[in-house]
Amino acid sequence: MLIDHTHRKWFVASAGILAIAVAAYVPYSLGSPQGPKGGSALGLMYGSVGFAFMVFAGLLGLRKKFPVWRVGRAQIWMRGHLWLGFLSFPLILLHGGFHFGGQLTRVLMWLFIIVFTSGLLGAALQHFVPRLHTAQLPMETIYEQIDRVRGQLADEARRLVQECCAALEGEVSSATERQRAAAASAGANWDVTVASGMQVDEQASTELQRVLAAEIEPYLERPGSRGVRIGAPAASAAMFRQLRVLLPPTLHSNIDDLENVCEEKRQLDKQRNFHRVLHGWLLVHVPLSYALLLLGAWHAVMAVRF
Amino acid sequence: MSTKPGADIQFTIDGTSVSVPAGTTIFDAARLNGIPIPTLCHQQNETPVGVCRVCVVDIGQRVYAASCIRQAEPGMNVKTCSEPVKAARHTLIELLMSDHPKPCARQQHSGDCELERLAAATGVEQPRFPKRTTPRGKDDSSAVISVDHEACILCDRCVRGCDDTRHNWVLARRGKGYQAGIAFDTNLPMAESSCVSCGECMVSCPTGALTNKRVVGTELGEGEVLDPAELLPLPIFQNVSGTFLELNQKAVVKRHYRAGEIICREGDFGSTAFYILEGKAEVFLASPMAHVQTDGTGRGFFRKLKSMLSPREEHRRSEESDRPFIPIDASVDLPYDRPIAELAPDDLFGEMTCMSYYPRSATVRAKTDCVMLEMLRNVLDILQRNKTFRAQLERNYRARALDSHLRSVPIFSSLTKDFIDHLRDRVELIRFSPGQVICRQGETADSFYLVRIGFVKVSEDRPGGELILAYLARGGYFGEIALLSGNPRTATCTALDHVEVVKITHPDFELMLERFPEVRAKLEAIAQERVQENRKRTSQLQTLPVDQFLANGLMEAQSLLVLDLDRCTRCDQCVRACADAHDGVSRLVREGLRFDKYLVATSCRQCRDPLCMVGCPVGSIRRRNSLEVIIEDWCIGCGLCATNCPYGNINLHPFPVELDDPTHPGRKIASTRVKATSCDLCHDHAEPSCVYACPHDAAHRVNPPEFFAGLLKQ
Repeated sequence: MLIDHTHRKWFVASAGILAIAVAAYVPYSLGSPQGPKGGSALGLMYGSVGFAFMVFAGLLGLRKKFPVWRVGRAQIWMRGHLWLGFLSFPLILLHGGFHFGGQLTRVLMWLFIIVFTSGLLGAALQHFVPRLHTAQLPMETIYEQIDRVRGQLADEARRLVQECCAALEGEVSSATERQRAAAASAGANWDVTVASGMQVDEQASTELQRVLAAEIEPYLERPGSRGVRIGAPAASAAMFRQLRVLLPPTLHSNIDDLENVCEEKRQLDKQRNFHRVLHGWLLVHVPLSYALLLLGAWHAVMAVRF
Repeated sequence: MSTKPGADIQFTIDGTSVSVPAGTTIFDAARLNGIPIPTLCHQQNETPVGVCRVCVVDIGQRVYAASCIRQAEPGMNVKTCSEPVKAARHTLIELLMSDHPKPCARQQHSGDCELERLAAATGVEQPRFPKRTTPRGKDDSSAVISVDHEACILCDRCVRGCDDTRHNWVLARRGKGYQAGIAFDTNLPMAESSCVSCGECMVSCPTGALTNKRVVGTELGEGEVLDPAELLPLPIFQNVSGTFLELNQKAVVKRHYRAGEIICREGDFGSTAFYILEGKAEVFLASPMAHVQTDGTGRGFFRKLKSMLSPREEHRRSEESDRPFIPIDASVDLPYDRPIAELAPDDLFGEMTCMSYYPRSATVRAKTDCVMLEMLRNVLDILQRNKTFRAQLERNYRARALDSHLRSVPIFSSLTKDFIDHLRDRVELIRFSPGQVICRQGETADSFYLVRIGFVKVSEDRPGGELILAYLARGGYFGEIALLSGNPRTATCTALDHVEVVKITHPDFELMLERFPEVRAKLEAIAQERVQENRKRTSQLQTLPVDQFLANGLMEAQSLLVLDLDRCTRCDQCVRACADAHDGVSRLVREGLRFDKYLVATSCRQCRDPLCMVGCPVGSIRRRNSLEVIIEDWCIGCGLCATNCPYGNINLHPFPVELDDPTHPGRKIASTRVKATSCDLCHDHAEPSCVYACPHDAAHRVNPPEFFAGLLKQ
């Protein structure tokens, strides 16, 4: 949801309504000896309009449940939700004369503050995060498919390592002098023994399998990167650099692919995080909104009745 | 010295005195007296030519003589295995082996490559001479015979087999020196030549240059296996090489079916064709004759879309086909109103399934007790090239199918019986192999073509590459634009698979237009439409950076579902709306190609190059003139279009139907049948549901050239 120039009409209309409401409130507030009351005519009007806006905003959820119903384009509903929902807060404040009132109304106002704030936060997140999402996740997939894709990546990594190991075991003593020199100068890291002598390839094969089992598989098989060193891009790059030193150049393309697999997993984790950020606030906003509507309706009934 | 023909002559071979009739060659004289002389180019049933020189013998003259062509003379002293002769032969074999792929295909398959066996017998292991550096290539175009020019020793046995033994006159020598080789017709690929696949060349070849192709699954599992002695007396196998049939035993079996027994079912994948020897069979479509209609239910605001099956009479769509016949993979077409027809002895069905592995287009059931030959591709290919069989097939087609085939094309529906009778003996059935050009852009037009079997690609050569204009299936036609305008051909038509077309020559075409002005009017209107559509495409190509668009297939699209990823919160409301609108079966996936900040979602693009159409066994998926894809009533739900769509945009939608209960005749059982569906743009509504339901203004249906052109200008 991008809040841009296409929202201008909504913005102007909302600002107009708010201005009118405030303009009416000032003389009303000043003219009321005991201060503005929700039960007064104007107060009731503020309350009714504010609650109507809240109800409309709440109906978006229902609208989304029936996406093919031709009851207006969903984007109009969304804009209405955004701007009328936003307007409902000052109107309710005007309705209560900026007082939280009794026990029920106090609960209501706190609920409303949380709903309103979470809504503002959600609008801001949905304004900015999609752009970050697009820019940072070129390999984005469907959210529900992430687990499956992760499984495929793990299989792909196993296949790549298997290919390398098969090649290495059939290539004993084929390491060139240059390879050995490069390996020897790289030093030891990640518990990898540097290449030396004629057994370089067998050692490399063993090491590669160890890296797969100890580092890559745990990283690919589980969501997130908690407790796994290659979750960090720098650490991952260092590990793959070391593996390249260890292996003959003919197998470097496999290592590149393996590194890409890990990068893709990193993107999946990032996508999961973005998705949680984009939609996580709804876990607060939606249930509290319904609670607010129910309590608001209860408050209205009680206020009118008594 | 002159000798009377027929009189015996005396001479000596390797110290043995022999007596043979005058005119006998030294080779035959030696063979008659049990003295072996090795040879490669000579075999008993062919005229000797003496090209390999392996059979050289010393006759006491300045040079050695090729024994296969040199006639014996009285008093001649022939040495066949003296050391100098053996040395000369050794050198010759070494020279031949230096260019020979060792082991060649024949040696690998059966271990009887004559050259390699001779080399082993004469002790030639590693030739001293260098191998040739320029490859001579292979020809794998034939379905049954593999040609490996590398293994050819230019012995001419195949040429003599083809010309002298079979009188087919297809094979000949081409080129000189290192360029020399065997050629089919005017050096065409074997499958494109006039070769009838009799197999004689392959049987004659001493090496692995011409071998029997071992296609996958050359044996049929069950059935009564017929040996060549039983097959050759059948008229359809007349002139087929017995050795070839021997090599392909089990690729053709005889089957007996009882009345009512199902022979093959529509939608099933198979690899065989059937030829009816005795009895009659019914061919029909069991799938409901209906298309998927997505329509609104409920009223006003709460209208919901629902998918249902509706036949043409209940729900007429714009530009829906009004073809009275449904094309199937048999010699007959099925009437739309009652899709059932009868197949009789000498009818062949399942050709497209067998040759191109398409799904079965119809269900065939034995009407009476039947005897059929079921055959695999290698045998069918020989038959289709067999002159006798071709003649019979053409006879059957002219007599029984030409009428319905012509009438199945709406523009020809007004042709009178007498004119069809006139055409009956004048049309020509021509076969084309995959990739073969039927007519080329710029050529002078001489004929009009009607597709009988297979798929034809119509394309235009452009500076940037080939631009595909259309795919034509059975019932499609081409060649009318150039004939009507008198200009050269405007497009190239190429066989996509095994294609058979009905060729109507220019004079007959003119006569038809003269006698039936309404056919001329309809053809001219369609030609005009096609020309305009081609122009439109060309102008679009000229105004856009083609490479970028062609690479992504976007230029081929007419309508794209594009998601603005900067606005999209990945809430999947679009997917939910699509699924809700189509009974829970979403026709879009929110994944696909990215272009800048836009995602081209996986949803029917209404391609201009609709690959989904290629292979439809009943030709039920086609394009409207507005270029939208339409799936006609007779879709059998085989799913090939869904497989062929490169973008995964066609789905199969299950519908409940009632079918005959095979165990309780007369009773019905509940079952499901699938029909192919693609995005219908929710045409019952003003806006597609996916776009309508997007709360973030991120989903849009766009015309790609306009949309991306605007984007590129920014």
